[in-house]
Amino acid sequence: MSYEMWAEKYRPKSLDKIINQKEIVDRLQSFVKAKNVPHCIFAGPPGTGKTTAALCLAMDLYGKGYREHLMELNASDERGIKMVRETVKTFARTRSIGEIPFKILILDEADNMTSDAQQALRRTMERFTETCRFIMIANYSGKIIEPLQSRCAPFRFSYMSQEDQDRYLRHIIQEENIKILDEGYDAIFEVSEGDLRKATNALQAAASMGKVIDAETVYSVIGRANPADVNEMIKTAMKGDFLGARKKLRDMILKYGVAGSDIIKQIHTEIFRSMLPDSWKVTLSEAVGEADFRLVQGADVEVQLSALLARMTEAGQELSRGG
Amino acid sequence: MSTIWTQKHKPQTLNEIVGNRDAKQQFLNWLKSWSKGIPKQRAALLHGSPGVGKTVTVETLAKELKMELVEKNASDYRTADAIKRFAGLASQYATLFGGNRLILLDEVDGIAGKEDRGGVRELTNVLKTSRSPVVLTANDAYNPRFSTIRKYCLVIPFKRPTVREVVSHLKRICSKEGIAANEEALKFIVERSGRDVRSAVNDLQALAQGKNRLAMEDVQWLAGRDRKEVIFDVLRTILYSKDSWEAKKAVSNADVDPDMLFNWIYENTPYHLTDPHDLVKAMNYLALADIYRKRIRTTQYWSLLRYVIDFMSSGVAVSRQRTKSSGWVPFRFPEKIRMLSRTKGERALQKSIGMRIRKRCHISATRSAREVMPYLKIIFENNPEMAAGLSNWLDLDEDMIEYLAGNKKQTKTIIAKLA
Repeated sequence: MSYEMWAEKYRPKSLDKIINQKEIVDRLQSFVKAKNVPHCIFAGPPGTGKTTAALCLAMDLYGKGYREHLMELNASDERGIKMVRETVKTFARTRSIGEIPFKILILDEADNMTSDAQQALRRTMERFTETCRFIMIANYSGKIIEPLQSRCAPFRFSYMSQEDQDRYLRHIIQEENIKILDEGYDAIFEVSEGDLRKATNALQAAASMGKVIDAETVYSVIGRANPADVNEMIKTAMKGDFLGARKKLRDMILKYGVAGSDIIKQIHTEIFRSMLPDSWKVTLSEAVGEADFRLVQGADVEVQLSALLARMTEAGQELSRGG
Repeated sequence: MSTIWTQKHKPQTLNEIVGNRDAKQQFLNWLKSWSKGIPKQRAALLHGSPGVGKTVTVETLAKELKMELVEKNASDYRTADAIKRFAGLASQYATLFGGNRLILLDEVDGIAGKEDRGGVRELTNVLKTSRSPVVLTANDAYNPRFSTIRKYCLVIPFKRPTVREVVSHLKRICSKEGIAANEEALKFIVERSGRDVRSAVNDLQALAQGKNRLAMEDVQWLAGRDRKEVIFDVLRTILYSKDSWEAKKAVSNADVDPDMLFNWIYENTPYHLTDPHDLVKAMNYLALADIYRKRIRTTQYWSLLRYVIDFMSSGVAVSRQRTKSSGWVPFRFPEKIRMLSRTKGERALQKSIGMRIRKRCHISATRSAREVMPYLKIIFENNPEMAAGLSNWLDLDEDMIEYLAGNKKQTKTIIAKLA
């Protein structure tokens, strides 16, 4: 067995190794051929190959020494305007030596940048276009301000099909010599929902148990790896157990360090996926929106979300009364 | 690891025990004299007010002199029969392991009661004949019922340490806990405790745990009546009076830090307003109070505090409409405060692991905590070999490995494979 995270070890090293997103890959390859890349936005759900495509593009473009021409920044860890002022500018303004006159800057999780930082980026992008091309990676392109969007070529990544995912996993399974049942593949696809990073991590964790991987192993791995089970928290509240739901919320925030904005995003998604009557979906959505706004203003995550949970407890009770 | 600071920061050597130099020395000399044969007095009676360090002195010395400490709380050994059984212990020379045995009978004040005459007599017999050193502790050695016992004991008085001595003890604790404490604030705690070290440490924990600084404002609310009672009174009024004016008055009169009070109300409200309809109202008012807290923090416009107080007192009080009283429900210490301090170190460690992952995995430290670390944990718990490889690859330190592995044994197994 190998001792890296498989999600890294088996990350494709060249555009032609990327197994899905055919149209995107074709266009990126044409950039490589022309030796010219525009500013880009890669948008799409997690684990669909955005970062990989950006890295592969750089590798194909520059060859072996690609690292010298590439900078990767992560907006989640350093999302302020200071990052743009200092790090980005310093990198962007110096000219690259070699056949290709520009460098590439990958700005991952760019939708987590403050809008001030995005505004600052706008000028930087324009001024240093000659020497630096930006690839902004985001889950939602809507969170990137208009002026930036208009300067970039948009690429929309979509979830992987099970066929593609299975093909990718089968390669790892052969290389690593793992035993897995067919139901194992199905289970991984079911829980990863087309997120390849999640699928690969789940596969590696399941393989670490040292047994043949069946559906049960996969479910137990996922169950343990997702303490931030927002769905479970909502169910607990709707069943009328407010205290149990608040306990789950606390664990998420304090023990597992989940950001309030992430929890609220998931709550919002779950509400519309749920079996609630439509009128309730809208009522709760209003409460979620208010809580979201308050969090942005800097209110306490636990207190605000607890108020939301109380609302769900009430909804649960009224629904069960209504039959 | 114990989370009670009086346990966690218990003195490890005689020197670390606050104050009472003479008493400690006298006790040490008497204990050492046993090595030259049984001394005239086979027992020592340490007496002094609560929290001055009697028991901890005995425990620490036993450890330093490598004696086996047999510890009995006198309140469990009040009758003649029980004391007789206990006497059996004292009549033996040494332990199986060849070390000396030290017998501690804690809090003997308990046996001095009327119904325990037989007990006192039996105890006197033990003191006359014991072949191992016996230590008694008491708050008041001059209780007339001890007059016989006193005759057979070396009586060592423990005095309250000075304010300065206790303050420097608290300072040591603060520095270990990473708290920058204001000297005046610590002095205030100590004076209020009546120089009772245990009580001072407990108060310090209640006030400072989970913070990184302790200022005068943080401790002032200790003044006045017993603080716990004050908070409980306020909670009772807010949660049961249904009267907005009473509730508001209770908070304004309480002279308790509003932030602290907010946490108490927030913690306890759902246990007392169990009807979901009432709970929604109450939690909404608390969320509103929270917004005003934030507004105060950003604007420093402290007169907004009156709205915080309105919402968290009257707001919660008028929310009780449908909930029926269901008997007595105890008040609980704010879990949030407790958890914050408990998970502080853990969160820091998580972050540093995240930074290592980021170097390797093209993912932010923030997201790796959710998307990579949980899987690493499973691997580290199950497969030491793969874990060792990953530790190398990610360049993890030992404490990071331990965090992921979950226990010391697995950590050792993994580290053994690292080499």
